[in-house]
Amino acid sequence: MAAIITLSLLAILVLYLGLYKAQKFLLPVSLIGLATAIGFLVRDWQLQAEPAYSGMILFDHFAIAFAILCIAVTAVLLLLIKGYFDDLSHHLAEYYSLLLFSLTGAILVTAYHNFALLFMGIEIMSVALYILVGIRKKDFASNEAALKYFIMGAFSTGFLLFGITLIYGASGSFDLAAIRDYVALGQLPMMFYGGVLLLIVGLLFKVGAAPFHFWTADVYEGAPILITAYMSTVVKIASFAALLRLFSYCFIPVSEFWTPLFLVISGLTLVIGNLSALVQVSFKRMLAYSSISHAGYLLFALVGSQDVAANSLFMYVTAYAVATVVAFGVLIIVKRTTGSDHFEAFNGLSKKNPLMSLLLTVAMLSLAGIPLTAGFIGKFMMFSSLMSGTHIALLVVAIINAAIGICYYLRVVIAMYFKPVENEQVFQVGINYYLVFIILGVVTLLLGIFPNSLLQLI
Amino acid sequence: MSLFYVVALLSTFFALMTIFTKNPVHSVLYLVITFFTFTVHYILLNAQFLAVVNFIVYMGAIMVLFLFVLMLLNMNEDVEPMKSTLVKVMAVIAGCCLFVTVCGALHLFDTQTPLIEKDPSIGLVKNLGQVLFKEFLLPFELSSLLLLTAMVGAVLLAKKEPKRI
Repeated sequence: MAAIITLSLLAILVLYLGLYKAQKFLLPVSLIGLATAIGFLVRDWQLQAEPAYSGMILFDHFAIAFAILCIAVTAVLLLLIKGYFDDLSHHLAEYYSLLLFSLTGAILVTAYHNFALLFMGIEIMSVALYILVGIRKKDFASNEAALKYFIMGAFSTGFLLFGITLIYGASGSFDLAAIRDYVALGQLPMMFYGGVLLLIVGLLFKVGAAPFHFWTADVYEGAPILITAYMSTVVKIASFAALLRLFSYCFIPVSEFWTPLFLVISGLTLVIGNLSALVQVSFKRMLAYSSISHAGYLLFALVGSQDVAANSLFMYVTAYAVATVVAFGVLIIVKRTTGSDHFEAFNGLSKKNPLMSLLLTVAMLSLAGIPLTAGFIGKFMMFSSLMSGTHIALLVVAIINAAIGICYYLRVVIAMYFKPVENEQVFQVGINYYLVFIILGVVTLLLGIFPNSLLQLI
Repeated sequence: MSLFYVVALLSTFFALMTIFTKNPVHSVLYLVITFFTFTVHYILLNAQFLAVVNFIVYMGAIMVLFLFVLMLLNMNEDVEPMKSTLVKVMAVIAGCCLFVTVCGALHLFDTQTPLIEKDPSIGLVKNLGQVLFKEFLLPFELSSLLLLTAMVGAVLLAKKEPKRI
């Protein structure tokens, strides 16, 4: 709870810094605030976790681990913000503060213990993002993305609320523990199953799984790159934590009802995401579709063996987030220098900037799931949790899709290493970018070689 | 009970007027009156908070917004686009679906054992406030974050960017 208070106050403090034109304090103050929030969360790790504030919020190991991951990813993105929005606008402080508000919402979503709080968290997280997506007021694509995101987000919130209402109507409570006891009694009315279905629809809209993925590509492409990186990492981490907490805590006794649904959705997401990513010419759009396909792998945590679900989900999202941030970070630099986000813009990058190309290659290999990277460990854990069940058909689909994934992730590597240099523009890379890339590259390799530190975390 | 029938008759009448008037502005005004009769219904049902929210938010804010948009658009019969046959067929099908659903719901409706509310005072503002400030205190406080975020965002989007030289 101390972490949430810290983050809310930090966001307001940042607004005040903007008011007094203290632009150069924005980044240090935000980073110190985020570090304090992580400190509070780490302190809570040893405590006996109990639902606090009349059962509203629960900071158990699961919630703390995902919350720390969200905060850490945001901190890394804040490092990249320096020099990114500077040339865009004077209202830098408001961007920081909106990102921090959104992060607060994401942490509520990971730690909720009551549907009222889940709804509040999702709304805080999304409202800040509706604005950040449309931050380029003069850019047509950005406007379109913001409008689409807003309408689809409002729509999915309607589904979510209706689902919560129906479950409340059946069980008489918003509290997760009460709902779990109610489900365990058996004899559930149709209303309850309707509620679960609508909840699934609402939450899958947020994570962008097929067939609710149509907004994802356009919104991710239209939004500023940094905001896209935030959406495809922090928002996804938080939403998946919410899904897993809800289904593995409350709805396990009715798993024969929702498991087939998730099996179909997961397979569909994988096929649609990967095949669409294969035909893209824009690197940014390819990353958008690849994030859809990763949502498919992440859904394995729900259908696979529940003993390892939390740990494998955490490992997978960590690997995915780290690699995604590097990919978007490199894209920012390439886009700024060449003005294009197509694969051709990466041609001959290795000759001009060997270090950056090497780190991008590591990130791409991690996304594709090549051994010795974190992505491999994540995929391995997801696949093995599936193997213990009886979902062999989905496993076959997943393996074929992993192979397709390698094809399009390596396209950018081929462009960097084997295509001739087309233009002589010099890449201006800030020291903060190098710092972020190197740290994240080392993290990817370390997790790939010594994964034991994270395997038994939760 | 007689008051209920009077108000119910009025709501039905104004709801029908909303559909049948040709002028969109009149239609919205009739809708506002319909909502007002709903507010009376809520008070009759002892739901004070719902009545107030319906009055302020629906009637006061949303419908006035509707009215403004309609007036700004300056809609009348000349600029109204022609409705194609396809749209008409779709509307008929949708209307029939709604009719069937209502009939089915009425068929299932159990009029023999009317629902008796356990606690008739559950909708009073006093009880709502007690729940809001005891059990649901945390979400209530956090909603301030939501409102602040929306406010910051609205100002940010609406503010003019100073021109660079």
